[in-house]
Amino acid sequence: MTTLLRDEKIVIAARLPAQPLRRSRTNLVPALFLLPAGIGIGTFVIVPAVLSLAASFFSVPLTGGAWTWVGLANYEHVLTDAAVLQAIGNTLVYSVITIVPSLGIGLCLALLANSVARGRAFVRTALFLPMTANLVAMAVVFRWLFAFQGGFINQVLGFAGFGAVNWLGDTSTSLLTLAMVGVWRSASFSMMIFFAGLATVPGTIHEATRAEGIRGWTKLTRITLPIMKPTVVFATVVAVLGSIQVFDTVNVMTQGGPQGASETILTMTWKLGFGYFDLGAASALSFLLLVVLVGIGLIQRRVLAGGHK
Amino acid sequence: MIHVLRAGRWLVITLAVLVSLFPFYWMLRTAVSTADEVFFDGISLIPASFDWSNFARAWTEANLGQAILIGSVMTLSILALQLITCIPAAYVLAKVRMRGKGVALAIVIGCLLVPGQVSLIPIFIGINSIGLADSLPGLVLPYMTSAFGIFLLRQQMMAIPDSLMDAARTDGLGHFRTLRNVVVPMAAPGIAAFSVFSVFTHWNDYMWPLLIARSPDLATPPLALALFQQADAGFDYSALAAGAAIVTAPVIVLFLIAQKRFVQGMSGAEIPG
Repeated sequence: MTTLLRDEKIVIAARLPAQPLRRSRTNLVPALFLLPAGIGIGTFVIVPAVLSLAASFFSVPLTGGAWTWVGLANYEHVLTDAAVLQAIGNTLVYSVITIVPSLGIGLCLALLANSVARGRAFVRTALFLPMTANLVAMAVVFRWLFAFQGGFINQVLGFAGFGAVNWLGDTSTSLLTLAMVGVWRSASFSMMIFFAGLATVPGTIHEATRAEGIRGWTKLTRITLPIMKPTVVFATVVAVLGSIQVFDTVNVMTQGGPQGASETILTMTWKLGFGYFDLGAASALSFLLLVVLVGIGLIQRRVLAGGHK
Repeated sequence: MIHVLRAGRWLVITLAVLVSLFPFYWMLRTAVSTADEVFFDGISLIPASFDWSNFARAWTEANLGQAILIGSVMTLSILALQLITCIPAAYVLAKVRMRGKGVALAIVIGCLLVPGQVSLIPIFIGINSIGLADSLPGLVLPYMTSAFGIFLLRQQMMAIPDSLMDAARTDGLGHFRTLRNVVVPMAAPGIAAFSVFSVFTHWNDYMWPLLIARSPDLATPPLALALFQQADAGFDYSALAAGAAIVTAPVIVLFLIAQKRFVQGMSGAEIPG
């Protein structure tokens, strides 16, 4: 989306006669303007990223004190530890079963809500609410909705003649239940992004497709989605990043259990660092995740840049 | 055929709205019910009685008053610091010609790729080693600036015509007054969108307060609620639901007021965080 905006600006800038930007006699004031942000970014983004790489080669005591060089032992530990591998596997499963429905439902709802004439503001607001609410508060509510005894879902199942399911307490359903909550949340997020994207499709396109008799599925896949490509890529990346970094719901609803069945990469990092006080291993896992996430971000840029050349 | 399609559309939308809103309804429904009713009449959609004492119990037992105070101070401090650091930087990156600007911009865009949560452990090691763990500055400082904010505001400021900048210079305005009298008013919509985004992000943040706020007095609203659940209220669903309603109400009210700005901020977003 921003790429679209940026490109528009480049086009606009190209049409204007070249004007010199403001050039200061000394660069002192602009440098001072950049300084506070520079300190913040340096201290809390760049240094930590480097530190997380460095710490991954050491044994780091939580209480402070000397670091001990251990080479690749932390990486060996996290990549061979059964619990960590289970957490990585869980995160992949969670991501797949969350991302695909979220994007599909999000796109459908954005298209439907966009075509509604009456009550549009209400429908839109109602569908945006899941992503604005406090996730910890909603996780507390969902834990109650899915409670084994007295929970609404099991009451409805009982009413319909089915047995109660131990949603959060059974190894076969806990991850799935978290994914359902994840879809509730991120479908709303995807929908908001698609909704904003649909607004950027020019009205002339709609007129032209109507005149040509292009409608429905063909219009969506051949016209609307290609125009909205930056939005589609953005929504996908947001969904991927969000689901890989799932933490709040897991921490509140299952604490990764039972028996690690819903442990995810971030909750595992947490346990390594603050449960087993192994900050070196936690850093190694963090750094691996960082590499994956930055990679996804770079792919996004590549895809968008390719689409505009 | 058209009628069937239209009916199908409304059916899907109605269903989606119901699924979206139901957890909120159930939260409120549970929050006003007595414990007996919660466990034995769970499927009734309309509460038989209204018991407001759950809110009072949640408020005192989860110490929500203190949490809301901490959360507000933290959120507003972060916002103030981010605006102070991001606005001047965005102005320089958008409108001032100076050497090294390209590198600075590349660093900002690079930082957009680094998601916040994976750096939390090294940030914790750092904050802990300078003795700021378990303190309000420890909650605030890591978010003193925002690469996303700088980027978003720069995009907004790029749209300000250079002729206006030249006029300001002709009138003898220095950088500081140009920023205050010309750039900030013109970039106000972007600043508002970013402010809403920042308040949402940090009011709702859970992982960093969970790491850094060790003493209960420093718990932010989501953390206080989670601690309340883990402590003794695990099955006191009425109080938990009341607490959840109290914690999530401010953001929902803010969203209803600032919906347009929020969506605008989202649509201009690269990678939030």
